[in-house]
Amino acid sequence: MTRDQKIYRLAYWIASFIIAVILLSGYHKIIYPADFALSVYRFHLLPDALVNAASLYFSWLEIGCGICLLLIPKYRVAALWVALVLLMFFTGGIAINLLRGSAFSCGCFSRSPLARPMDWLSVARNIGLILLAAMALLGSQKTR
Amino acid sequence: MNPTLQRIGIILLVSGVLAVVANSVHPRKIPWVQDWSRHVEAKATKQKIKVIPLSVALEKFQTLESIFIDARSAEEFEQGHIPRAASIPFESLDEYFPILGGLIDSGRELILYCKTRECDDALMLAIELQKMGASNLVLYVDGFELWEKHGGEVER
Repeated sequence: MTRDQKIYRLAYWIASFIIAVILLSGYHKIIYPADFALSVYRFHLLPDALVNAASLYFSWLEIGCGICLLLIPKYRVAALWVALVLLMFFTGGIAINLLRGSAFSCGCFSRSPLARPMDWLSVARNIGLILLAAMALLGSQKTR
Repeated sequence: MNPTLQRIGIILLVSGVLAVVANSVHPRKIPWVQDWSRHVEAKATKQKIKVIPLSVALEKFQTLESIFIDARSAEEFEQGHIPRAASIPFESLDEYFPILGGLIDSGRELILYCKTRECDDALMLAIELQKMGASNLVLYVDGFELWEKHGGEVER
C-alpha cells in the first residue's frame, strides 16, 4: 500500500467512525419512539399516515448504519451510502422547515423540549457530515 | 448484482425487520398509523396559529416583549403560573371579554398556554381571539407542566 493509500484508508476509518458515533447518538429515538414521531410530524413533509412508520424505520436505519460502520467492515461502504442519503434527506427537511419559519428542534440528538430549535447551523453541521461521508466513500475507493 | 447494492438492500431490509420486531415488544410502542389531524399542533397549524416549544417560550419570556395568557382554570392559575401571565380561563371566557379587548389592543404578541401538550384550552382561546381580530397569536404548546418541570420561573 502506498503512502497516499494509507492516508486515504485512515481518512476512511476516521470519517466512518465519526459518522457512526453521530448516528448512534440518536439512540433516544428508539427508547422514546413517540417523541421522535412527534419530531417527524413537526417537519410537515410526510402524509400523516406515514409519520409513525417513517419515524420507527428511520431510527432503526440510523442505528443499523452506525453498527455496520463500527463493527461490520464488509458493510461499511453500503452503510456510508445509506447514511449519505439519510443525511441529505434530513438536511433538506431542516432547510425547508427553516424557510417555513419552524420554531422546533429537529429532534436529531435530543428529545428535550429545551433542545435548541433548528437553525442554519444545523444545516451547516449536516453539510459537514455529508462531506465527511463523501470523503469516506472516496477514501474507500482510492484504497481498493 | 453489485455487492454494495446488495448490502444496501440488506441494511434497508434488516432495519425494517428490527423496527417491526422492536415496536411490537417495546414498552412505549406507538401505533404504525396515527391520526395526527386530532393533535393540538395540527389544529393550530390549520388555523394559521404559530406554535412554539418550551425553548422558544423561555426566550420570549426573558425579552418581556410578549404577553403570556394562561387558559387554565382560575384555581390552577392560583396554584402557580408563568410570572406576569394574564389569567383568561377558557371555561369562563364570557367574564373576561373586557380584558381580552385590552390585550388585543396592546398590539403585543400574545402567547397562550394551558396545562400540557394534550390540552386544547389555549388553542380554543386563540381561535376566539382570532375571531375578535387578534393577529399576533402564538400557541406555547408544551404547557405549564413542562415549563415548571424544566425550571421555568413560576409565580404563586
